[in-house]
Amino acid sequence: MWSYTLRRVLLTLPTLLIVVTVCYLLLHATPGGPFDGERKVSAEVLANLQAKYHLGEPLWKQYLLYLDGLLHGDLGASFRYADWSVNELVLRALPVSLAIGGVSMALAIVIGVLLGVAAALRRNSIADYALMLVSNAGNAFPSFVIGPVLILVFAIALKWLPAGGWDDFDPRYMALPVALLVMINVATVGRVTRASLIEVMNTPYIRTARAKGLAMHTIVLRHALKPTLIPVVSVIGPLAIQSITAAVVTESVFSLPGIGKLIVNGAANRDYTLVLGLVVLVTVVAVLLNLLVDLAYAWLDPKIRY
Amino acid sequence: MKSFAALTPFKRTALAAASMTLAVGALSLPAVAAIVPQGVALAAKQELVRNNGSEVETLDPALVESVGAANLGRDLFEGLTVTNGDGAVTPGVAEKWEQKDPTTWIFHLRKNARWSNGQNVTASDFVYGCQRFIDPKLASPYGNVFGPFLLNGADIVAGKKPASALGVHAIDALTLEVRTAGPVPFLPELMSNPNLGPVHRATVEKYGRDWTKPGNLVSNGPFQLKDWQVNSKLVLAKNPNYWDKEHVQLTQVTYLPVEDENTDVKLFQSGDNDMTYQMPTGTYAKYRQQFPNDTRNSLILGTRYYSFNNRDPLLKDVRVRKALSMVIDRDLLAQRVTADGQTPMYGLMPKGVSGADVSNYEWASWPMDKRVAEAKKLLEQAGVKPGTKLRFAMNTSDYNKKMAIFAASEWKTKLGLATDIESMEFKVLLKKRHDGDYQIARNGWVADYNDATTFLQLVQCKSTQNDNFNCNPKADALIAQASETTDQAKRKQLLTEAAKLVMDDYPLLPLLQYGLPRLVKSYVGGYSLKNPMDHYGSKDLYIVKH
Amino acid sequence: MKSASLSATLEQAVAGRSPWQDARVRFLRNKAAVVSLALLAIITLACIAGPWLLPNQFDSADWNAMSVPPTFAHWHLFGTDETGRDLFVRCLIGGRVSLMIGALATLTSVTLGIVWGAVAGFIGGRVDNAMMRFVDMMYAIPYLLIAILMVTLLGREFYLVVLTITVFSWMDMARVVRGQTLAIRSKEYVEAARAIGVPTRRIIVRHVVPNLLGIVAIYTTVTVPGVILTESVLSFLGLGVQEPMTSWGVLIQDGVGVMESAPWILLFPAALLSITLYCINFVGDGLRDALDPKDR
Repeated sequence: MWSYTLRRVLLTLPTLLIVVTVCYLLLHATPGGPFDGERKVSAEVLANLQAKYHLGEPLWKQYLLYLDGLLHGDLGASFRYADWSVNELVLRALPVSLAIGGVSMALAIVIGVLLGVAAALRRNSIADYALMLVSNAGNAFPSFVIGPVLILVFAIALKWLPAGGWDDFDPRYMALPVALLVMINVATVGRVTRASLIEVMNTPYIRTARAKGLAMHTIVLRHALKPTLIPVVSVIGPLAIQSITAAVVTESVFSLPGIGKLIVNGAANRDYTLVLGLVVLVTVVAVLLNLLVDLAYAWLDPKIRY
Repeated sequence: MKSFAALTPFKRTALAAASMTLAVGALSLPAVAAIVPQGVALAAKQELVRNNGSEVETLDPALVESVGAANLGRDLFEGLTVTNGDGAVTPGVAEKWEQKDPTTWIFHLRKNARWSNGQNVTASDFVYGCQRFIDPKLASPYGNVFGPFLLNGADIVAGKKPASALGVHAIDALTLEVRTAGPVPFLPELMSNPNLGPVHRATVEKYGRDWTKPGNLVSNGPFQLKDWQVNSKLVLAKNPNYWDKEHVQLTQVTYLPVEDENTDVKLFQSGDNDMTYQMPTGTYAKYRQQFPNDTRNSLILGTRYYSFNNRDPLLKDVRVRKALSMVIDRDLLAQRVTADGQTPMYGLMPKGVSGADVSNYEWASWPMDKRVAEAKKLLEQAGVKPGTKLRFAMNTSDYNKKMAIFAASEWKTKLGLATDIESMEFKVLLKKRHDGDYQIARNGWVADYNDATTFLQLVQCKSTQNDNFNCNPKADALIAQASETTDQAKRKQLLTEAAKLVMDDYPLLPLLQYGLPRLVKSYVGGYSLKNPMDHYGSKDLYIVKH
Repeated sequence: MKSASLSATLEQAVAGRSPWQDARVRFLRNKAAVVSLALLAIITLACIAGPWLLPNQFDSADWNAMSVPPTFAHWHLFGTDETGRDLFVRCLIGGRVSLMIGALATLTSVTLGIVWGAVAGFIGGRVDNAMMRFVDMMYAIPYLLIAILMVTLLGREFYLVVLTITVFSWMDMARVVRGQTLAIRSKEYVEAARAIGVPTRRIIVRHVVPNLLGIVAIYTTVTVPGVILTESVLSFLGLGVQEPMTSWGVLIQDGVGVMESAPWILLFPAALLSITLYCINFVGDGLRDALDPKDR
């Protein structure tokens, strides 16, 4: 298993290279450039801008220059934010997204699994429907509706929490965005847990355990939980990646300085270096999380071998 | 702040003397900084939170481009002059100035103007700042907007002369000579822009790109940089070395970079934000009712219009363009569709601009039936049949969408023309407009400085700001003539005539004059409703006791 | 003759139900799923037939009737939007677009995802590795870039919206299916089948697919909301439904802005969308229960 892990980690590098290359080509193929603004600049100024950022040179040369910087850990200078380097921007945005995404995933897993297990054990009863109604709320309403409603209730009507912003991991500013992401993620985790547990409960060895007269909670916790979690874990991977790297609506509605908003703004501004830098980050996060998921499979099902 | 009567006799005299000096030297008389009206009690905590609409691209005053960055530029830095809340030009670092000849101005700097690190602000700081700004190596986006007004500026921006040839010279430490390329009657106002302001050379040379970071930035304006967390907030603290610090009430200003308009208002409602950037589409009437004392709205020097692609086969004929312009009911547009205090425009110049008069199309006063009948006739003459399709391009936004739907329905019900509305990303729209790859496109322009020429750029023959690809050589000749003359009245007459001439070609479709409604807490004082350029410097604002 | 009728009767008595009939019975037993299916049918029918039956046009603006609350006058049962267009008709037209895009995009992305994931999970080894690394890469590319590029290079037709959404939506299904296939592949009965030499194709059809149906059913109904919501984000970018055409996503986005002054503009499309999505969820759960081979 360690060799497998090592191989996967090493594979990150070619993955990174391919992703960066694809995004690089896509960015440069998209119409509009970073310096297309409402007030058109003179030809001379444009020439200087191109020279400063090497935009006038052939694509392959710019690409190699970028890779060279990448190898030295330098993600380049942002085109749009003249005062900051991409390293600085990325390193400031990452902790915010990690905090919000990480906390909400942890909570969503716990709550989702609990809801799913409770519903599965009371299958087809009113309790089941009610629990699923609550759990699925996050999947039935768009996030850009749930967010403002949360703000209206908790920040404006009740005035318990701030309406948005970020203050150095202060939990009051994290509460509502985390709540939004938890609602969205619980929907998927809950349903998959419920479905999976129902399936597992019908397997022969669980039936045997029930026939043996074991208490339900022993059965669930000791025997059924691990196999139940396999599809759940499959689902957590993408959800975690989304929650950390692509929580654009959450970050816009609550005005959080996170990665998702930075990528979207960067793309809209054609800030090539910023976007590529974030893509590098997102790739690393995605690869690592997927690796964790695959390792979790092996832990949950001893028969899965790599 | 104490009332005038409470001050000691010495201070009273000093104040009186100071204001008299200002009256003599300055070309206008109004107050500087936050003069709190008599009887207004100030709150103990003078801290303001305001939204800037997005994260600023830079704090380097030479590179400032967006409205948000300009707001910060004016709070952190101060130029030779300052435009106050009512749009009037007042002394800044220069306490008085005079015009030696039509193209030469002398500015006398005050002795007590200091940088935030205590050093004096000298004329050479301005020379450095201006040369650095104009130098194409720095690649400032406003280089070719302000540059051409200064002597040799145009050549420097084009790379034909070195930056040192710029017509800005330090005669001595406290005297600056500014020479312009032609007569520029609004030069004092021009010099209030942060782009043309002073820059602390030693700091720039020491830190390079990092010179604008908190801890490094040296500024000479009413505020200094305390903290900057990108995409989160930017905090300014009162500058203890600012020459007019007695009149600056606020001790701290926090700028937010919130882009989502709804979030902006929510933060306002929850008390986390004192001043929004704008208001979400369609909410003006509601918020005016809900927050009557907090809703502030004023017209600014800006115009919403639709560009016609004058080269397009369908729009080549001026009759078609005229017809399309005539049938739009701008009153309905202003009162019911946008319903946020904007006013109809039937010409190029917005109300309040100096240097030219507002002139409207003659048919603006006709009843709509007459306009529609005439327009139909024009279309017939031009050979355009009902059912013809129009292509309209705009950048995605609720506001633009609403206006576009209105225009499309006007063209449909009154002229029988169908419109394909295409919404796209802003940069894509810019490129289409620039390349002429459109038929009708949504457009808008806010003045860079208070003079008619900023709007004439939109319709001049070879102007880079002309997206319509129209050309009226006679009008251009009049504009060129106006730029030579020193007679203000004649200049105004020439520019007005030029505008009228060009607009009779119907190069574009004027719609509304920009209004900027905002939510500003009623306890924020000093927010003038007569601000034509929408420059709200934090030094003019104060918090009333509440 | 007697023996023929006897054997016929015996055959009839022993004739079991086919697995599909079995599934149908089990599905019908799930009340929530049945009600949901009925609701979905009603909504779909309304969206298809409604606009033809109603007197108001979905694209006729009425500047004298902007943002009118729901009323029986002029058939404005849901009120009007900010440009005076009837909201009821627009909700139904929007439903057509959302449901159609939802169905098509889900179909394509689910198919692609299942094929990809099953092949990767079943073959395993290097092929699995390569295929899943490709999935990793897809997650890393910001979808905004791809969306803008596709619009500008290829155009704005309807099938492009479907294609764009598919490109971003198939990976979840692939991962889930691959995980489940891995688990199934290592189960005893599959090992046993391989040991006795059952051909791979038979194993896939008889063992892998039936065990995948459950999770596929669930995840398909997880994909649909994502697809419909992705469509509204794309419309916001300028790709997808253009004025005057609309979709539930676009209607809801318009409604959020005026949530406090004209709540019906948000309420009705949001209600329609959430009811539809809830129903899809319950139907999905019902399908999973019905199709589980071990559920007796």
